[in-house]
Amino acid sequence: MSEESERSPNPGAPGTSRRDFLTQIGGGACAVAGVGSLVVTLDYLKPKVLFEPPTVFRAGSAVDYPEGTVRFNREQRAYVIGGGGGVFALSAVCTHLGCITRYLSDEKAIACPCHGSRFDLEGNVVHGPAPRPLPWLEVTADAAGNLVVDSSIIIPHGKVTRA
Amino acid sequence: MSPSPELHVVESTDPLAVPRRVALVRPDTRPTVRRGDERYVMTFPHLIVREVILFQAVVIALSLAAIVFDAPLEGIANPIETPNPAKAPWYFLGLQELLHYFPPIVAGVLLPGLVVLLLAVIPYARINLTAGPLWASGGKRTALALAAVTAALFALFAVFGCWPIAVPTLLTAAAMFAARGGARGGRLRRALAQVTLPEWIMTWFVVIATLLTVIGTFFRGPGWAFVWPWSGAI
Amino acid sequence: MADWLRGSAVYRSIVRHGTADTNRNRSLVIFENLFLHVHPVKVREKTLRFSHTYWLGGVTLVSSLVLIATGILLMFYYHPSVPQAYRDMKELNYVVDNGLFLRNLHRWAAHLMVFGAFLHMLRVFYHRAYRPPRQFNWVVGIILLILTLFLSYTGYLLPWDQLAFWGVSVGTNMAKEAPLVGEGIRFLLLGGNVVSENALLRFYVLHCVVLPVALLLFLSVHIWRIRKDGGVQGPPSDVDDPRPEESA
Ligand code: HEM
Ligand code: FES
Repeated sequence: MSEESERSPNPGAPGTSRRDFLTQIGGGACAVAGVGSLVVTLDYLKPKVLFEPPTVFRAGSAVDYPEGTVRFNREQRAYVIGGGGGVFALSAVCTHLGCITRYLSDEKAIACPCHGSRFDLEGNVVHGPAPRPLPWLEVTADAAGNLVVDSSIIIPHGKVTRA
Repeated sequence: MSPSPELHVVESTDPLAVPRRVALVRPDTRPTVRRGDERYVMTFPHLIVREVILFQAVVIALSLAAIVFDAPLEGIANPIETPNPAKAPWYFLGLQELLHYFPPIVAGVLLPGLVVLLLAVIPYARINLTAGPLWASGGKRTALALAAVTAALFALFAVFGCWPIAVPTLLTAAAMFAARGGARGGRLRRALAQVTLPEWIMTWFVVIATLLTVIGTFFRGPGWAFVWPWSGAI
Repeated sequence: MADWLRGSAVYRSIVRHGTADTNRNRSLVIFENLFLHVHPVKVREKTLRFSHTYWLGGVTLVSSLVLIATGILLMFYYHPSVPQAYRDMKELNYVVDNGLFLRNLHRWAAHLMVFGAFLHMLRVFYHRAYRPPRQFNWVVGIILLILTLFLSYTGYLLPWDQLAFWGVSVGTNMAKEAPLVGEGIRFLLLGGNVVSENALLRFYVLHCVVLPVALLLFLSVHIWRIRKDGGVQGPPSDVDDPRPEESA
């Protein structure tokens, strides 16, 4: 690229002319600036405060949930279910692509309208494209038996809360 | 390089004569130079008028459609209530139909990504530039390979119960075999015999994409269950 | 009247050539005009045949022009906020003069553009018009197709009705499944974890500014390249020999 006469004796990098060296420095600086502004822009685009609905809600008292009761909380997109000798909560958001499932009371099943997934009342996939069971949500009961569900905390499958 | 032929310059008296360019064509030159004697016409009016007519035709057709058919507008968005069925716009219904058969990572990421990638590299893949008719070279090996690939694809899609892909795969392969030796057959078979492998693959893709889209659009009802379009359950 | 207009100093200052009655003036029509000079002055007669292109690229181009025109008009009434966006749709449908017509036009032109681009791609493929030297224009075409799909998709959310909301919810959940980057992309796209007002605003900016600008850029390259690559190429029979013979 450069002519022989411009080749300066550079002990650090033999064979690199001053022009090549400056070009590399310049190009490198542009690349660093480019990557830097990209990172900063991406960070800018990431919201820092979200005004999304609260994830903690009250679900009444444990005595409201005899074995086999299924209550659907629309706002919180969760089922609170009496079973297994206590109470547990299931997310109603289909694990496939996020549609809101429905409880079919006559079939004792949870079905998704979007691509036809079906779940049993413990959240296990009966069939359909859903890849995972419906997550169990944390349920806590105070001394008086009042239930509080936190839909942001996912607990292991089968961990029933007893009041 | 051979020496250039001798050239004579003749002055034309015909005012409408189109001057002809004389060029030395080398294999690596740009494509604008063609061998044949081509007729050229003035862009204005010939092309411009056609473009204006096209513009008018499309605008008129769209306006008529806009007068007759109304764009849909449903109830206000409600994050709690999923409509049943919830459908994407038609050009994504093929994809949504795929989601019914395959895990999301396959149907939503892998397959579409693969399609886009394959489409993008078409002009850079040697086979697309050099392929002749599929059966041009006799083709015992072609037949074997085709049968093997078809069987593998069919098995793969059948395992997932994805008949809208599995069945067209079989049909396409059948058509490909029907083209074999078609050069001496009727008109249809002669046309089929000319089709190259990339064209067969594209046709296979188009058939499947269309079928999936049509099924997703017209044959899916509540719970993404199969319905007949005339059963009114859409 | 028309003659007087053509003779006027103002008209002559804009259009320097006379009426297009000679080949010279017809050439000037093309190359003295910023927009028309994407064309050469003369075209191969064959390329005007219907079966050469089926005018599919043209149909797609015209739909995109219709979309830009109607889209700008719709923007005058649209607020990208919840629930005002939905109310604006109702207003356009029932209150604004010709609002429904414009909405319909925008919607059907969008469908036509997707459909047209797809068919155009198929015609280019089966005509093998992606061969050298048109490889790069094919890739530009694929980018245009993807941009077209994204434009439709972002536009789909804007009415903020049930169709819009769930179509976009399902679609963005699909993105979530992409390994490693999926969650991040979805979060950036929606500006949150769920489809909400942030998502509406982001889709609005993408739909009305970012994607159209990108589309216009690539469209310019696409159209310019057609001429640079030697004009449109029709069916394979149009190219008598893709490689000029080695020997003269
Ligand atoms: C936004 C969408 C697009 C528009 C508005 C558009 C517009 C056009 C127009 C007006 C032409 C002139 C010839 C014709 O009408 O066929 C053309 C040619 C071409 N287009 Fe597109 N196009 C679009 C998308 C695509 C796509 C998706 C592809 C392929 C992947 C593509 C590849 C090409 C190629 C290779 C040519 C040159 C064809 C030839 O020389 O015969 N374009 N395009
Ligand atoms: S979102 Fe529930 S089955 Fe797809």
